[in-house]
Amino acid sequence: MSDKKIQMIPKIRSGIVIDHIPAGDGVHILEILERDPALKNVPITFGMNYQSNKLGAKDMLKIKKDDLCERTIQHISLVSPGVTIKRIRNFEVVEKVSVQPPKEIVNLLRCLNPGCITQNEPGLKTRFILTDPRNNLVTCVYCEREFSIHELSPII
Amino acid sequence: MKRDLISMHDLKAEDIQVYLDTAARVETISLKDRFQLLQGKIMASLFFEASTRTRLSFEAAMYRLGGNVIGFAEQTATSVSKGESFSDTIHTVESYSDVIVIRHPKEGTSRHAAQISYLPVINAGDGTNQHPTQTLLDLYTIIKNFKKIEGLRIAFVGDLKYSRTVHSLLQALIKFRVNEFMLVSPESLRLPEYLKRVKTDFPVTFVETKNLEDAIPYADIIYMTRIQRERFPDQIEYEKVKDAFCLNAGMLKNAPEQLKVLHPLPRVNEIAPDVDETPHAEYFRQAKNGLIMRQAILLNVFEVKI
Repeated sequence: MSDKKIQMIPKIRSGIVIDHIPAGDGVHILEILERDPALKNVPITFGMNYQSNKLGAKDMLKIKKDDLCERTIQHISLVSPGVTIKRIRNFEVVEKVSVQPPKEIVNLLRCLNPGCITQNEPGLKTRFILTDPRNNLVTCVYCEREFSIHELSPII
Repeated sequence: MKRDLISMHDLKAEDIQVYLDTAARVETISLKDRFQLLQGKIMASLFFEASTRTRLSFEAAMYRLGGNVIGFAEQTATSVSKGESFSDTIHTVESYSDVIVIRHPKEGTSRHAAQISYLPVINAGDGTNQHPTQTLLDLYTIIKNFKKIEGLRIAFVGDLKYSRTVHSLLQALIKFRVNEFMLVSPESLRLPEYLKRVKTDFPVTFVETKNLEDAIPYADIIYMTRIQRERFPDQIEYEKVKDAFCLNAGMLKNAPEQLKVLHPLPRVNEIAPDVDETPHAEYFRQAKNGLIMRQAILLNVFEVKI
């Protein structure tokens, strides 16, 4: 990280850094973090449009909390596949994972089809299969409609 | 493992072939012998949406095989109308029967039922999604007429947006390597894009037109569909397109000899009664094949070899 970036987003002693977020996706990840009750009152720093060798421009998030729940990580993987989640201890990266969406997405997204049984039967969990990872397309297991992940609203 | 029949997505061409072969064998067995095959079995026939052919032919198929039927023909006659959840209805019915046949206006209902029930579930139509038993009888009708499926030219006509029979049959035909379709529909009822995005190792071509007469010299099979008033969220839109296509005997005067006209029925105005008298009309035999195919489906579900 350059000196300039350190000035803009200070290093954290301990917590989570979400890095390599394609510029523009950071806002969507922030929306997910805001909906996670475990992150209420947790300090979060958000930086936009940093220079990146890999992406050209990237966003970044720093969270002053030791871990993220599995569900939040899964949501992040859907909104912005390929981002890096780093765990920081004593200013050092102790763990680093690149998140990818699961093959079967259970109860994370709401089906857009008003005629789908998941919209009409209380308590029924939604299920989508990632049918085209390159184009972020998923198919509802129930109504068999295909959607782009980005057009489906998350179930938090 | 129980055998459900939910969607053509779940079946490979060889699985479909098993149903087609079983149907052909059913026709060779006498009514007396057929009556022994499912003695003591009970089929729950749960029709949350109106049906004539599918419900009656399923029930007749079960009786022909010596089984019995319980069920209902409309939702208002059930506890669902009192607010009971669908899941509770299924759990109740499964303790009274050996197989569940469901028609429901919401897409994915049969899949949901199959997941929560220990009984085999047969999808008799779920909203605008799938109608696999209709597809199997359509394929059986095609095989009986043409002795093959691959290489045939099929034109789908009418409501290609909401028609589950079109959606199911199209997917099945592609499994048999049919690679060219003509789609005849008004602009507002075109086949949804997601159904055109097929994942095959061969190219599939869709020729779209608004002119029914284009299909007549082109096709081996014209698959007519009704414009379904009940599927339209806006009735004004229905009024605009309800009589978009009407096939009559005059239009078929110069049709190729082998051309067959299929229709899942019921028809309204899309096929004039004078077509019934032509050698191209196949839809009533198609409906009759439904009784045979549904016997084959029940035998496969119960794993009865014939």
